[in-house]
Amino acid sequence: MKKIVIEGNHAVSYGAKAADVDVIAAYPITPQTQVVEKLSEMCASGELNAKFIKVESEHSAMAAVVGSSAAGARSFTATSSQGLLLMHEILHWSVGARLPIVLANINRAVGPPWNVWTDQNDSLSQRDVGMLQLYCESNQEVFDTMLHAFWVSEQLMLPSMIILDAFYLSHTCEIVEVMDADEARAFLPPYEPKHFLSPEKPKSFGNLTTPDFYYELRYQIDRDLRKALDLMKEADDRFEKLYGRSYGIIEEYRTDDADMLVVTSGTVTSTARTVIDELRDVGKRVGLVKMKLFRPFPTEDVRRILRRAEKVVVIDRNIGFSIGGIWAQEIKAALYNTNIDVPVFGFIAGIGGRDVTPRVIKEIIDQAEHMDVPDQDVYWIGVKNEQLHHTR
Amino acid sequence: MSKKKSKNKTVFHGVEDMPVAAISEGDMSWNKTGSWRNIRPFYDEKTSPCIAGCPAGTDIQGYIQLMLDKKYEEAVRMLWQKNPMPSVCGRVCYHPCTEACARGEIDESINIPSIERFLGDYAIDHNLTETADGDPKPDNGIAVVGGGPGGLSFAYYMAKMGYPVTVFEAKEKLGGVLQYGIPEYRLPKDILDKEIARITGVGMTVKTGHDVGRDVPVDDLEKYSACFLAMGLQRSRALGIDNEDAEGVMAGLSFLKSVTAGNPTDLGKRAIVIGGGNTAMDVARSAIRMGTDVEVVYRRTRNEMPAIEDEVEEAMAEGVKFTFLATPVGIFTKNGRITGIRAQRMELGEPDDSGRRRPVPVEGSEYEIETDSLLVAAGELSDTEAFENIVKLSWGLVVTDDAGQTSDEHIFAGGDVVTGAATVIEAIARGRKAAKFVDAKLRGVVGPETDEKQVITMSDINRAYFTPSRQVPTTHIALGKMKNRFAEVKQGFGEDEAQQEIERCMSCGVCNGCDICWMFCPDAAISREDGIYTINYDYCKGCMICAQECPRGVISSEREGT
Repeated sequence: MKKIVIEGNHAVSYGAKAADVDVIAAYPITPQTQVVEKLSEMCASGELNAKFIKVESEHSAMAAVVGSSAAGARSFTATSSQGLLLMHEILHWSVGARLPIVLANINRAVGPPWNVWTDQNDSLSQRDVGMLQLYCESNQEVFDTMLHAFWVSEQLMLPSMIILDAFYLSHTCEIVEVMDADEARAFLPPYEPKHFLSPEKPKSFGNLTTPDFYYELRYQIDRDLRKALDLMKEADDRFEKLYGRSYGIIEEYRTDDADMLVVTSGTVTSTARTVIDELRDVGKRVGLVKMKLFRPFPTEDVRRILRRAEKVVVIDRNIGFSIGGIWAQEIKAALYNTNIDVPVFGFIAGIGGRDVTPRVIKEIIDQAEHMDVPDQDVYWIGVKNEQLHHTR
Repeated sequence: MSKKKSKNKTVFHGVEDMPVAAISEGDMSWNKTGSWRNIRPFYDEKTSPCIAGCPAGTDIQGYIQLMLDKKYEEAVRMLWQKNPMPSVCGRVCYHPCTEACARGEIDESINIPSIERFLGDYAIDHNLTETADGDPKPDNGIAVVGGGPGGLSFAYYMAKMGYPVTVFEAKEKLGGVLQYGIPEYRLPKDILDKEIARITGVGMTVKTGHDVGRDVPVDDLEKYSACFLAMGLQRSRALGIDNEDAEGVMAGLSFLKSVTAGNPTDLGKRAIVIGGGNTAMDVARSAIRMGTDVEVVYRRTRNEMPAIEDEVEEAMAEGVKFTFLATPVGIFTKNGRITGIRAQRMELGEPDDSGRRRPVPVEGSEYEIETDSLLVAAGELSDTEAFENIVKLSWGLVVTDDAGQTSDEHIFAGGDVVTGAATVIEAIARGRKAAKFVDAKLRGVVGPETDEKQVITMSDINRAYFTPSRQVPTTHIALGKMKNRFAEVKQGFGEDEAQQEIERCMSCGVCNGCDICWMFCPDAAISREDGIYTINYDYCKGCMICAQECPRGVISSEREGT
């Protein structure tokens, strides 16, 4: 193991290397390009013994790793924004075919208008394909989660998406402790598929399945994706024992005795930590809940943690048009049909890469403090010409 | 699903029994998806543009594929099947093959002349020989009149088929224009002699110094089963102006003969060459090699010059001066020796029969050019008087049909004596064609089979498979850097250069076993055995991906049921 200073994209590349992937197929797109560049260099130099498949689109990239994964190879791809949207059809395929592919998505806003900066609408639009979705806060978490993702995916035969913010992580250098494949093997053993494509034993994969059985196959996906909650916890525990780092599947930060809990994901979490510290210093009973898993959704953990609060504030760097932030929707749904009665304030911030500064987070908390219950589905923070949406 | 499969159908009792994904237990060969097909792809090799571009139909694509496997001997033997003189043609041909090469539409054409020359010289360096491969024919023999490229080509293919062949050559050596016309700096004599020796080595009687019509009575030809006339063009066309008999005025062909004989005529300090064809270029470039100042005077412009473009460029690079749109109308003499010419300026008028614009004199534009000699290369004429009463002639040329048949049933003809001034490769092509025809005729069978395939075009090539690359050029030695001024100008390819260049060949229209169809077929309906691909129509759905992907347009299609 060694500590190096790398950007988030290279943390993805080093993670794929530590996972000793067999096949990489990817198409470059800002802000993901460095992931692919580094991996192609590693393949060219022989540092990583993997087949690097050049493709002409993200649809083909995902299709290529579907093929290689079906043939029993540990397979990886990476993309962003429009690229992920182009993959959408094959994302469904990878789930239905039960292929443990890992995909890194750099969160980037969707066009038009053209925008290369971060928000979560690209990955959250893949909500129902059945992949795991793992959101990361730091470059170290990106590296470590790459290994978690391969292990859990291969246990379940379901693909994973690991997600990091454009530029705030992708292009920002941090100290990352990386390991090579030999060191990582204790955590992630070689992939041994039960079924795989082989010319010696031809089989048909994914062919016509009647209503007699299709229904059960979908049931299995739902059942197995839920199992990922326990498996992620198991992975996190094992990883901590081996390498000394742990993230949990949901993180509570200074939530003891908190009246208000702020829920975040991605790099907004880091900013929110400093705000919570400042507000705690002046005696405010505010805590932070970091969401790492979006799929499977940690419903029980969410209920367990949020039931203690008087107010829940969700900061969404995304928008479900006409209904509100997507994390807020999921959290509200998790709390329904329970005896938990806590108001959930949904705030939108930082879409299209707009900076979510400590001041913005303080403004959100301040606004929520001054209301008993929300009077709107959603509050857009910092919209110019605010009186339309913003009551105080 | 087949009945058998239905009986053995696996039964699941519930979700816990089931696998997590839909994967068949056995293979899917029972599912004959070929019934879905409405378009049928099939392998359909076509003719590469280079082959179509060669008058002799040399199998360029074919020999290049063999060369890629370093099977040079097989390659050159394949080449000889259409052209017995690759060392000659690699040096002197105007290479219409390269003009036609489809690669030229992507980046630069394949340097076929240098590849052909490499192969021809490989045969020479390795002393490859040939023998007749047909059964000996109980025949009265075949006579060939003229041992130039046309006559030698005919003699070679007849001898290869097992006929007893006798070649009559008026001059001391075989080769015709190759021997007595084309200078050493383009075609070294030792190369020519070795290539001819291989041809005659197949087995034929060669009678040099036998001028049919003078040394040998024309009637003597009657005793042969068939006779092939290939005397070429012997004489330079005269200008038809006064004082053409002055000392210092000579026919271009005579001058070249003196050069190739190693005894060049002294031209003095200045020489004027009249004409714009290949003979004029050979004359001019030979003259400048003797240290003479040379000026070519041509009545049209550079665009209308019939000479090979390369030859003109090299002549210019070597210092030959060109005066276009001028023609000699008189010769000045002093004591019976030329001192200069009177030239008249021309301009281009309406197109003539050849499609080139006709030169028209400009009134009052005459001027003088001083010179020590005048070399006339304004066209060549045949010498066919001896055959006047035997075969039909037209303007001194022998009249034949496409296969070389003259008006006399037993006499055939080819080369320049039929076509007028043409090219070496055309003479070779006609020689071979006539040989095939004569053989069929003597055996009493219908003319030789023709195998006309569709010629591939660039639109059939899948450009995605070809990364642009530069042609490996032929190296030229500048005249100023030569010790021996008649040393060969163009340098041949070494093996590395040849391999580098043939790598660029796209094998247009002809399968080279690249596996693309085999890899792309989504139904695994294409199988590969010993480099041969077969489509299993039980499974081919007719998606046509194979044909779309094929880099070289080998796969054609037809609608089912038509």
